[in-house]
Amino acid sequence: MGIREDLEAIGAQLKEELASLEMTKALEEVKVKVLGKKGTLSGLLRSLGQLSAEERPAAGQLINKAKEDFTAWIEEKQAILEAKEKEERLRKEALDVTEPRDLPCEGAEHPINAVLNQVLDCFTSMGFEVAEGPQIELDHYNFELLNLPKNHPARDAQDTFYVDDNIVLRTHTSPVQARTMLSKKPPIRIVCPGRVFRADEVDATHSPVFHQIEGLVIDKDVTMGDLRGTLDAFAKRLYGDDIETRFRPSFFPFTEPSAEVDLTCFNCHGKGCKVCKGTGWIEVLGCGMVNPKVLEMCGLDPSVYSGFAFGIGLERITMLRYGIKDMRLLYEGDLRFLRQFR
Amino acid sequence: MKVSMNWIKKYADIPVSAAEYESRMIMTGTGVEGTEYLGSHLNNVVVGKVLTCVNHPDSDHLHVCTVDVGEGEPLQIVCGAPNVKESVLVPVAKIGAELPGGTIKKGKLRGVESFGMLCSGPEIGVPVELYPSVGDAGLLIFNEEYAPGTPVAGIFGLDDTVVDFEILANRPDCLCVWGVSRETAAAMGTELKLPEITVKEADGNINDYAKVDVTDFELCPRYAAKVVKNVRIGPSPAWMRQYLHAAGMRSINNIVDITNFVMLETGHPMHAFDLSKVKNGHIIVRKAEKGETLTTLDGKHYDLPENALMICDENGPTGLAGIMGGEESEITENTKEILFECASFDRTSIRLTSRAMGIRTESSGRFERGVSAATVMDALLRACQIVNELDAGDVVPGVIDLYPDPVKPAELTVSCKRISHRAGVDVAPEKMKEILEKLLFKVELNGDEMKITAPIFRQDIDQEADICEEVLRYAGYDLIPSTRLRGETPMGGKNTTLRNRDRICSFLTGEGFYETMTFSFISHKSIEQLGLDADDKRHSCVSIRNPLGEDTQCMRTTLLPGVLKTLSTNINGGNENGRIYEMGDVFDGIERTGEGLPVQSTMLTLGCWGEGGDFFSVRGIVEMLLKREGIKPEILPADEKYLHPGRQAKLIYEGNVLATVGELHPDIAAKFDIDSRVCIAEVNLPQVFANATPMGTVKSIARFPAVSRDIALVMADEQPVGPVMVAIEKACGKMLESIRLFDIFRGIQVGEGKKSVAFSLIFRAEDHTLTEEEISRLMKKALKVSKEQFDAELRS
Repeated sequence: MGIREDLEAIGAQLKEELASLEMTKALEEVKVKVLGKKGTLSGLLRSLGQLSAEERPAAGQLINKAKEDFTAWIEEKQAILEAKEKEERLRKEALDVTEPRDLPCEGAEHPINAVLNQVLDCFTSMGFEVAEGPQIELDHYNFELLNLPKNHPARDAQDTFYVDDNIVLRTHTSPVQARTMLSKKPPIRIVCPGRVFRADEVDATHSPVFHQIEGLVIDKDVTMGDLRGTLDAFAKRLYGDDIETRFRPSFFPFTEPSAEVDLTCFNCHGKGCKVCKGTGWIEVLGCGMVNPKVLEMCGLDPSVYSGFAFGIGLERITMLRYGIKDMRLLYEGDLRFLRQFR
Repeated sequence: MKVSMNWIKKYADIPVSAAEYESRMIMTGTGVEGTEYLGSHLNNVVVGKVLTCVNHPDSDHLHVCTVDVGEGEPLQIVCGAPNVKESVLVPVAKIGAELPGGTIKKGKLRGVESFGMLCSGPEIGVPVELYPSVGDAGLLIFNEEYAPGTPVAGIFGLDDTVVDFEILANRPDCLCVWGVSRETAAAMGTELKLPEITVKEADGNINDYAKVDVTDFELCPRYAAKVVKNVRIGPSPAWMRQYLHAAGMRSINNIVDITNFVMLETGHPMHAFDLSKVKNGHIIVRKAEKGETLTTLDGKHYDLPENALMICDENGPTGLAGIMGGEESEITENTKEILFECASFDRTSIRLTSRAMGIRTESSGRFERGVSAATVMDALLRACQIVNELDAGDVVPGVIDLYPDPVKPAELTVSCKRISHRAGVDVAPEKMKEILEKLLFKVELNGDEMKITAPIFRQDIDQEADICEEVLRYAGYDLIPSTRLRGETPMGGKNTTLRNRDRICSFLTGEGFYETMTFSFISHKSIEQLGLDADDKRHSCVSIRNPLGEDTQCMRTTLLPGVLKTLSTNINGGNENGRIYEMGDVFDGIERTGEGLPVQSTMLTLGCWGEGGDFFSVRGIVEMLLKREGIKPEILPADEKYLHPGRQAKLIYEGNVLATVGELHPDIAAKFDIDSRVCIAEVNLPQVFANATPMGTVKSIARFPAVSRDIALVMADEQPVGPVMVAIEKACGKMLESIRLFDIFRGIQVGEGKKSVAFSLIFRAEDHTLTEEEISRLMKKALKVSKEQFDAELRS
């Protein structure tokens, strides 16, 4: 038998073996058996020594050619097998992607703070600074500087918790306004958010503790139109571009003229619904031009400066915004309630 | 304040619907809570004349009637009332009438068809004070002649709308029919037709009947009186009863009704004394003396507070000035001579006495809000005029009027330009004048300058801003334009404290925490339930002088009671796991600021239960929170009484406790009705922010290889590992990149009462590859410090 025949026999057997192979592991064995150091091709190469010098180059060429062919066959098979195995692995790794899993808790800030932050974003973007002050406050700042002298009947409307004759739990965040006017030169543009207290028993719409945000602007040329413009911007930012304000005459001791402000009902957009009791308007805040007497008491000359102030009840706008019917839910902290917020 | 619209219409025309009227009043500053048409249940109820009345063929008590209702064929109506008879005038509820008892439909009674119902008083819901025979048994039979078909609502005065006004605190002058009529006329642009007051007097002289002394004109700036003799007590006429009814007042008798009617009409509370019960007809207005008592009209007996202003006679107190009369001088059927009192009292004094005695009346409420001394005489004479009208007695000539210091109308000079500017609305000076005159101001216009005299009853006007409001509310608040702020814009934005708090909240919500809020109040009991040491600062709270109850006794010194209550609500509400936090202010009961106010600080308390709520998870959250503020705290066992004695740690930085973390003590949990393990962390935010370090510059990534070494140290079981790790870190210095605990082993192999703690140490130098020599020197340092400070040996 000659080399050519041997190579043909090896090749034929290799083809047969490759054809029946299923796994890359077995392919490695076949590869070693033919192309390995102790493989059949190496054996043939070693046997070249027995050939004559004239026969050797041709035989060597034959063997090298065969080696190239065999390697190509094996690589081809290997690629096929690898692709098949990868496909198989991926098939086995498939998940039931619809299988439910427990989610981690999302977490959320308190709805009142969520709404407060929206309000703050709106006013801070208009150049308002945020000011805070003590919740336990001097009568002087909470009442007297705001044109509510002792025994003024309007004090009764704000049933006050007293610590002693001169110290109260603040009934509004207005004392922060008074403190700011006393300590800062105009132009003043502040909003004062915070907790306030009134001696009201707890029920669905009352609470002895609640939150307000008040605003104050003092400058040389401030008009009631600027007040309306500012509140229009607030209403549109918070509730949408189609929201309008309606000013109604009102009375507060610290402003003159004063107004109650209604917004277009953000539930029905003015058509009339349950939320707005069919009127298309929702009463949201009180405001007015700072009473010159207040300016004077706070050390500002009312012939030079004017300004406006407004106050918003955060509980009220939070309850309206989310359709909360009972204020107590806000203070119970039940996760069945809080988990609905995001 | 409820007022009959018919009453207002007597003085000012209202040419629009009730709804339109309501809206115009609101937009001009007179609040309206709502309107109610009184006769809505009397639609389709008319006067009917019974033409024929025969017995029902199949009944021993029913009658078959034909009734003329003023239109079409007479109606056949079956009626069961015993007093029905031919030719009487009765109320007929036609088909479709919606009576209080139901809607009237065509019916058949024992085979006879009936097209309506003849009604009794109660069936048409008419109270007895509105029609005398309404309460009689059987059908209501009209005593007067009415044409058949006349709607009955008008007969009872129920063809009227009651307007519920909400008068603002600065406008006590509007708390009466005349007041709202003035605003109505201005708002409607109609003529104001207040009555001209004339009194017809009999003979005699008031000074022969009565004498008044006022000892304190500060508290009683004006006291006026008239006397009426030959008083003829009787019922009031229907019109007066109807107006009182609409205002929610009961009719008593003509004299008492006159005082109430005049109060509603003019805003002046009045009182009528039976002069025979006033000793020597001598009334003395003075402060109560110590030990004096009074029995009021409602029969209650009171000890009088000193300084309460009293109406007295020579025997002693007969009434609480401006609040309530005394039983002694009450008007009775036998009263013959009366004294009408109309006065003005200091509102603060009335308020304090009313508070102190716990008596609030219509009268005291009005005096507290302010009753003008200036208009006292109008009210008093109006009462006498009505006495004339009702022929309820003979008015004695003369008047007592103690009024030493008459109120003057407010006079001011204002600039039209400034008013327009403040309002943001351009209103022409002439227009301003017109508005103000409509509101009964006297105005002299001189270019831009307006000289104004306010009407005497307007006590709220004393500066230009007040005039601006008057002008604006009648020019129309709708005219206020929407303009943007001008001038120098401040920087704006949140302050540092708020930004700090926002950062913490956003971290916690990201970790699955829900923010909760509880009241700033706590009870003494809830603090005691925490089982704190007797001298713990948190026991000392700022107390509320007038709490609503136990729960609002004092201000919180810690967020714990609130958070524990929230946890209890959640756990008992069936929420299996959860993470909550409250960020809120607490108040120091002892320390005060320079202004003398309690020191207030914002604290943070976390509460976790169920999965993810174990000690180490929660401590991890707090460590991470601190890490994000640039703080790496030392962790040591803590000793809070409300926490599990073996499961609590404090996180310390530079000697300050920044936070305490631990499992709630089971005894405390039980007191707050919590039956599962909960973990609490209290974070002292002011301390955290004080120690926070801002993010600095970054380091480049080390290029030289790290070397890792594991060591196991055997130490006493009770030795906390934290301090050991801190000591090793310190000893090795910055070459030690990290130290991590990876195993704790207890068992025979390491000895009784001991544990083996395995750490993985990673060393690296920034500027060279560490040599074996350097590493073994560092390891030796670690072992040495462990041995010296903690008696920990290398595990062999």
